[in-house]
Amino acid sequence: MITALRWLVFGVAAFAMNFPILVTLATSFKSARELSTNPGLWVNAPTLENYSAVFTVSDRLNIFLYLFNSIVVALLGTGLAVALALPAAYSIARGKVGERMLLPFIVNLRAVPLIIFAIPLYMMFQWLGLLDTRLGLGLILTIVNLPLALVILVNAIRDLPGEIDEAALMDGAGRKQILISVIAPVCRPAIVTSLIFGFITAWNEFLFGLMLTTSKAVPITVGASFFFAASGGGVQWGVASAVMVVGALPPVLLGLIMYRQISGSMTAGAVKG
Amino acid sequence: MTTLTQRAPFSEFKQLATPLVLFLLVFLGFPAIVNLVYSVSDVTFENLRHPQVSGFANFASVWNDASFWQASWFSLRFGLLTALLECALGLFLAIFLSPLIERRSWLMAILMLPLMVAPALVGLMYRLVLHEFVGPVPYYLWTWFGASFSFLGPASAFWTLIVVETLQWTPFALLLFYMAYQAIPKEIVEASAMDGARYRHRLWYIELPLMAPTIVVALLIRFIDGFRVFDNVYVLTGSGPGGSTASLSIYIYEAFFKQGAIGKAVAASVILFVVSFAVLYGLNYLANRRKGAIR
Repeated sequence: MITALRWLVFGVAAFAMNFPILVTLATSFKSARELSTNPGLWVNAPTLENYSAVFTVSDRLNIFLYLFNSIVVALLGTGLAVALALPAAYSIARGKVGERMLLPFIVNLRAVPLIIFAIPLYMMFQWLGLLDTRLGLGLILTIVNLPLALVILVNAIRDLPGEIDEAALMDGAGRKQILISVIAPVCRPAIVTSLIFGFITAWNEFLFGLMLTTSKAVPITVGASFFFAASGGGVQWGVASAVMVVGALPPVLLGLIMYRQISGSMTAGAVKG
Repeated sequence: MTTLTQRAPFSEFKQLATPLVLFLLVFLGFPAIVNLVYSVSDVTFENLRHPQVSGFANFASVWNDASFWQASWFSLRFGLLTALLECALGLFLAIFLSPLIERRSWLMAILMLPLMVAPALVGLMYRLVLHEFVGPVPYYLWTWFGASFSFLGPASAFWTLIVVETLQWTPFALLLFYMAYQAIPKEIVEASAMDGARYRHRLWYIELPLMAPTIVVALLIRFIDGFRVFDNVYVLTGSGPGGSTASLSIYIYEAFFKQGAIGKAVAASVILFVVSFAVLYGLNYLANRRKGAIR
């Protein structure tokens, strides 16, 4: 009896929390004609016409460019964040360098509204010619990803026994060597987790994409909103839904495949950070 | 181990941390200085490189701006309400559903799904969901109850946004609480059952106190994220109706990009900067002191 109640609660919660996703998915398969008569969740005559419209490049909208931009900036913002965080995490965990200042500062950075850096960064990018470039957006996403990557990696290295380092030191290895050939391989799960988590975060970022890009480097989160700009006859809801499904798919698939790692890293960042 | 780390050359560790420090100096340190300089300058798009230092006029204009206070009030209320709702719902779901999830962990994947979707996209999705002609929510309200109302109108926009944010981020609280709930040692629970403690007593006197630190952390994280909200609110309502749903992030964004009021936007950024770091370091200090006291 109580089990049935639990299933009911699960069903209601899962339905309510995923409701916008379900609606968008259903709408993306509706023809323009069905949309005007049937706003419900059920699709009477599924069609792929919206998807073919989305993947048709026009002079105003180019989804391939947005997707490509998102992939590049997310990879850049994630890879660079981990590349910067790993050696720093090693110094913090083993050398106690930056444990009092650097670590708390970066952890706090996660909680600071990043808009406060947005305006000077915008001006700086204007001077450096980084506005509307994938490199520029990737650098900003690095800042966004740094805090969690650092916390995950510091925790991972702290959990390793110090004997590993000791043995390698005895053999005459330098710290850099130890990091590359001993610590990094052992920490691979933590590195992978921070890469996945960073990729999802970077892909889903919107504020800096909105501010720092206008046409050439627009990521999909911003590009998707272009499809909502009325083109003569108002919003084409079917097409707009298809865009949102396409834009949401990569992080959702990644999340579904790797949800165990992600849930672990979320709690690590929250509880130990 | 400690002796070894002390004996190892200190500079090697410093070298390894240097790239990160340099990166932060360039991309956060420099902007912070620009912020400070511009906030006390008379700055326009024409004299960006040679700002005239002019005192605290920018701060005064922010201070006297009613929409700054409206945005602060919105952010505060939005952060508090969503944090409380998300944590209450998440706590209930985590404990009530844990017997199901323990045996089938893929259920958690379904519940976590909203966390994977960009908040900006979720906001756009709700434009469809709540649309008066093509949206299912008004449609079903009409068919079942013969009435609907304007979800994004002046009277209800705030509460609609609260629901949107809460539905997307309750899974985060749920996940945290589920992990904490699972981490409670089984012996404690069994021992209390042996002693004849009732379920609600066990929950109230044993399990919830053990989860208290996680609850505090979840409340804090969700408050911060709600306080600085931008994406979903921006795409759903802009700042309207009538500026009633502008968060502080949106206020700064609009001051800069829409009104071109650089000085005002920068001064507001500096205020937010100082307040958030003061609060965060204060919290760190309190947390460390408590840790020290326990030790």
